Parts: sequence; C-alpha cells; structure tokens
Amino acid sequence: MDFFHAHQAQHYLVLGALLFALGAAGVVLRRNAIIVLMSIELMLNAVNLTFLAFARFPLVANSPMGSFLSGHAAVFFVIATAAAEAAVGLAIIIAVFRSRTSVNVDEFDTLKL
Amino acid sequence: MEVSWLHLVPLLPLIGAAVCGLVGKWLPKGWLYAVALASVLLSFLVGLRAFLGLGEGVQLFHELAFNWFSAGSLRVDMAFTFDRLSGALTLVVTGVGFLIHVYSVGYMDEDPGYWRYFAYLNLFIAAMLTLILGDNLVAMFVGWEGVGLCSYLLIGFWFTDEEKASAGRKAFVVNRIGDFGFLIGIFILFTQLGTVSIAQINSAVIPLGVAQLAALCLFIGATGKSAQIPLYIWLPDAMAGPTPVSALIHAATMVTAGVYMVARLSHLYVSAPGVMAAVAVVGTITAIWSALIATSQNDIKKVLAYSTVSQLGFMFIGVGVGAFFAGTLHLITHAFFKACLFLGAGAVIHGLHGEQELPRMGGLRKYMPSTRTTFLIATIAITGILPFSGFFSKDEILAQALHTKAFSFLTAADPAKTDVPFIRPLLVWLSTVRLTWLGPLIYAVGSFTAFLTSFYMWRCYFLAFSGEYRGPESVHPHESPPVMTVPLWILAGLSVVGLLLGLPPSWVHGTALEHWTWEHFTEGVFAPPRGGAPGEFSPALGFGIALLVGWLGWAGSYALYFKRGLLGDEMLSARLGPVRRALANKLYVDELYDRVIVRPLWALARGLWRVVDATLIDGLFVNGIPALIAWVAAMARRFQNGDVQRYAAVTALGVAALLYVFLVRS
Repeated sequence: MDFFHAHQAQHYLVLGALLFALGAAGVVLRRNAIIVLMSIELMLNAVNLTFLAFARFPLVANSPMGSFLSGHAAVFFVIATAAAEAAVGLAIIIAVFRSRTSVNVDEFDTLKL
Repeated sequence: MEVSWLHLVPLLPLIGAAVCGLVGKWLPKGWLYAVALASVLLSFLVGLRAFLGLGEGVQLFHELAFNWFSAGSLRVDMAFTFDRLSGALTLVVTGVGFLIHVYSVGYMDEDPGYWRYFAYLNLFIAAMLTLILGDNLVAMFVGWEGVGLCSYLLIGFWFTDEEKASAGRKAFVVNRIGDFGFLIGIFILFTQLGTVSIAQINSAVIPLGVAQLAALCLFIGATGKSAQIPLYIWLPDAMAGPTPVSALIHAATMVTAGVYMVARLSHLYVSAPGVMAAVAVVGTITAIWSALIATSQNDIKKVLAYSTVSQLGFMFIGVGVGAFFAGTLHLITHAFFKACLFLGAGAVIHGLHGEQELPRMGGLRKYMPSTRTTFLIATIAITGILPFSGFFSKDEILAQALHTKAFSFLTAADPAKTDVPFIRPLLVWLSTVRLTWLGPLIYAVGSFTAFLTSFYMWRCYFLAFSGEYRGPESVHPHESPPVMTVPLWILAGLSVVGLLLGLPPSWVHGTALEHWTWEHFTEGVFAPPRGGAPGEFSPALGFGIALLVGWLGWAGSYALYFKRGLLGDEMLSARLGPVRRALANKLYVDELYDRVIVRPLWALARGLWRVVDATLIDGLFVNGIPALIAWVAAMARRFQNGDVQRYAAVTALGVAALLYVFLVRS
C-alpha cells in the first residue's frame, strides 16, 4: 500500500483549488447569469475532485470514517444537489429574463435598500 | 394682641383684583368700579378700626393666618403685624390708594382696558399691604415681588407701544437686580440667626459682620425698589404708565418700600453703623443728583419723577442718620403731596389731551382752577415752606442729620482690616479719619438740595400754570370732572394737615396735639441709634435756614420764569450751556450704563449663544451625534448595493481572510 500516500494527493488538490478559484472568479466577475451558473458548477466539481482525492489517498490509514467510500458518497450527494441547483438556477434565470429581458447580473440590484 | 381679622386688610383688595381680572371684562362698568373701589375702601375701614384700637394697652395686633411652609428649622408663616408704623402706612396705602382709585374712574374711563387696569391696581394694593404687614421677611418678600410685578404690568399697561413696553421691562429687570440682594440678605439672616421673623431679628444680638453684610444686601434691594443710585434709572422711565399709576406706585407707596424696610429692620441697621452711613451717603448723593436733573427736564412727569427720586433720597438720609421717625414721617407726607402733584399733572395731561411737555403748557390757571390750586398747595408742601406738611418732615431729617451722633465713632476704614497690599497706607490713613463731619456735610448738601427742590418745583408750576397758554390752537384746555378734582382737594387738604404729624414735640407738649406728632406716636417702634439720639437742640435756627432756602428757590424761579416763561430756560442755557444740556440729557447715565453694563452683557450673551449654545450644544451634541450615526450608516450603505456578485466577492474575501488566519498564522 505504499503507493497510496497522502502526499500523492497534492496534484489533485492543487488542480481542485485552481478549478475552485476559477469558478469563484467566474461567479464574482462574469456578468452573464448563465456563465455565473456554470462557474458555480465548476466550483462544485472542484470540490468533488477534492473529495475524491482524499478518498483515494486518505490522510490516516485506518480512518474513523470506516471506509474510503465516504468521499465517494459525498460526491454523489453533491452531484445530485448540483443537478437540482442547476435546474432551479436556470428556472430563475428564465423568470428574471422574462421580466428584465436581460441575463446581465449587474442589472439585478433590487436587493439594495 | 392676637386677632383673627387682620388678614382681611390685604385679602379684600386681592378679592377685588380676582373679580376685576377674571370676570371684569363681562361686568357692567358700574359694578366693576364698585367692586374695585369698595374692596380698597373696606380694607381702609378695617385698617382704620384697627388703628383706633391701638393704644397704651395694645401695642400691636398680630395674626397668624396660616403656616406657609416649614423645612428643618425654617418655619415661614403667613402672618401679619399691625403696629404703629405698619398701621399708619396701611392707612396711607389704602387711603391714598382709594383716592387714586376714585380718580382713575375719571382718568381711565375711556380706555378699553379699564377692567385690566383696576385688576392690576387692586392687586397692587394687596401686594403692598402684604409687604407692609408681613411679620417675617419672606412674607414681606412676597409683597415686595408682588408690587414689582404690578409695577411692571402697569408701566407697560399700553403694551402695544414698544417704548412703554420696554420701560416696563427695564423697571422689572432693574428691580430684579435689587431683589437679588434682598433675597441674599434674607438667606444671610436665616443662616446666621436661624430666623426670618422681623420681631425676632429686631430683638436678636447680631454680630457686626453678619449685620453689616445682611443690612448691605437688603439695602441693595432697597436701592432697586426705592430708586436710589445706582439703580434709580428705571423710575423716570416708569412714567410711561398711566398717570394715576405714577401717583400711586411710583410716588406714594411702592417706591417708599425700601425706606419702610430699613425702618422696619431698624435694629439690624443700628447694629451695622457702617451700612447706616452708606445709606445716608447714598441718599444724599441721590437727592442732589436727581434734583439737579429735575431742574432741566421739560416733561412734567419727568420733573416729578426725578423729584420723587430726590425725595426718596431725603428719606434714606433720615433713616441713615438714625432718625427713623423722620424718614418715615417724610414718607407719609411725601405720599400726600406727591400723589397730589402727580394727580394734578394727570389732570393737566388729561385736560390737554395727552400733552406732557411743559413748553406747550402755560397759563393753565385760567382753564383749570381746581387743579391749579391743589397743585400750588402741594408745591408749597414739597418745597418746605410753612405752613404745609413738607416743612417739618424734610427739615426734621436735615436737623437730625446735622446733630446725629450715629457717625461720631465711625472711621472711614476699619482699623483692624488695613492689611491690604498696595493700598495699605491709604487704608491706614483712612482708618484715622473720623466721620464726625459726615452729618454736617449731609446737612449742607441736603439744604442745597432743598433749595434745588424749591427751584425746580416752582419752575414746573410757573411753566404750567402762569403766563399765557403756549400750546397749539387745536387743543382747548379744560378742567377735569369732579371725580378727579375731589381726590385732588382731599390730597391737598392732607398735604396741609400732615403738618400736624411733624410738629416738634416740645412745641405741643401737654396739649392734645402731642399724641398726634409722629415722633411721639412711634416712640418705642424704632431702635435708638448708636451713640444715642441727638440731645436737645434748638430748632429755631434750622427752621430759619430751611425757610430761607425754600424761599430762595422760589425767588430764583420767580425771577426767571414767572414773567418770562420759557425765556427763563433760554437765559439759563445761555449762561450754563453745557451743564444744562448734560442735565437735560439726564447726565448721560443711561448711556453710561448702556456702554458699561448692557452692551457687554449683550456681547457676552451673544457669544454664549453663538459659541456655547449654537456651536457646542446644538452643533456638537444635539446635531453632532445624529450626524455621526448618519455618516456611519452612509458608509455601511455602500456595502448593501444589491449587487450579488459583490456580496459574493466580499464573502470570498472574508473566507480567504479567515483561512489565512486559521491555517497559515496558527
């Protein structure tokens, strides 16, 4: 089992962090609501990658979590949630587009005082 | 003797005031007059009954109406004392007050505010009687403030005229300055002697320091109320009120309250000989100062006003040299003849449709014979010419000043307190100066003032009643109705009969008149002055000099004004131009006070307003704190701009910061 060591996860973790940062930057910077939604998907999948990396290369040999499968389970939950979130998000975007004829998030500022 | 009806004396006019003031507007005029006059007349009758009840067995009547308030060792009663002094003054106030009420019926009949006027007048009588009868200083102070209030209300009676309204305010403010001293005096007496009762103060042994401080503070109150230097300036302006008010309040009664207070507290003042000297000196300076101004005034009421200030100065000379009976005697006779003079002036003004300037009068003896005769009698009385009442009262004061022993042991400075830096040699020298010459000096100045009094009063008389009428054609002078002339005649009669009060006891010894002389009548009421009363002195020489100055004043005035009229003034002006101009401008005292006191106070008040109030309190506290909150809120509002992306960015930054803190730093 020497092959499976935690330090071997770092490539995956770096890649996950980069993807997460890209997603976050997209959420904050992009103006198109659909791109923002896609960026959120990117962030969620970056997290998924991190879960899987830790599932494959656990930090502790005999984890109290019992088995390595807990990481995989979390990923499935995230995928399910992301699907639902994408559906709700797209529905909201369509509803907003109907009233504003725009998908530019800068124009969605009715939350302010 | 303890009685239960004394409270009626001040209460009756108070009821009259309440009726006139609350429902007078809707009462028929006749009823209102009946209420106003009857309340004062009844008060007079109660007072008269009490006065006749005083005798060998009964020295005074006393009534404890109710306990006003008690706190700790302080007990203040609403209680009244009716003795020979307060009794006589009660009669003067209600008697002269009643006559002036009668006169006012004629004078104020056409004024729409007549009901207000009679309410104030009744209220004044009630307050004045409280002042006179109050058996402790606090009750006296209630009356003292009450008369001040009525004075203010009546000076500014025609308040739509800005000048008159401001004259009322001036009187009130100047009086407040004096009242402050009066109040401090009461506090000193209470803290040091533990009582405010006049009877107890007058029988206490008072330490010199306490007596001097308290007497001085109370005298400051007297200078305000009785219009003495330095607070006399309100009285000439007070002539803005209706003329009967000037007669009642600003000549006969209220302004003599200070003299009465000093006489009432004679024991306290005798215990403070230095203050006695100050009282006499202030009285002397005031007397000559205002007599000088009176010689050059053209408004008939201003002449009489300065004359009143001057005569009040005489009264303070009397009480200041320890001759309390002489000061209060002059108070009473002055109430008669000065009320008569003022009412006469009022009749003249009434008959000339509001004209007050002497240059536009003249020759009125033809048109108003009653007014002229009574004015003449009162003029003779005030100038101190026999056989009228001013003669004995004024000359008694001057004779007492000449012979007084009250100052013989005084020095100009206290020998025990010369250790003051810089002026020590001066104080050491002053402490060796004995004031034995003060009495004769006061006598000399007072006699010269008597000459001036005679001069300006005769000038006033000649300019108003002699010669030819100088007013405009359109004004037809006419005599006043009987309701106004009858009080004039009664007061003129009193100005003559008042002479009896002042007869020297040695002249009437053993006759029925003896009991009626004021000196005999008030025996035992006043404390004897330090050094004892002056010994027997021959009155003849003093009377001779007094008669001489009286006649000299008449002669000077006669030579200048009888034939020439206004030309007399021009001749005087030609000789004494700048002096006379200064006198006509009241010696610029108002202007001086304006520069030295009023304007700096204004500047200070404006500074306090701008800096402390507007900037500090309003700017920093009242508006500053909300402004700070608004600023913080404006800052915070920037974050809530509705831009979800910025919220996300801020959240991300916050998470990054937390991660940095927890993961990297730790």
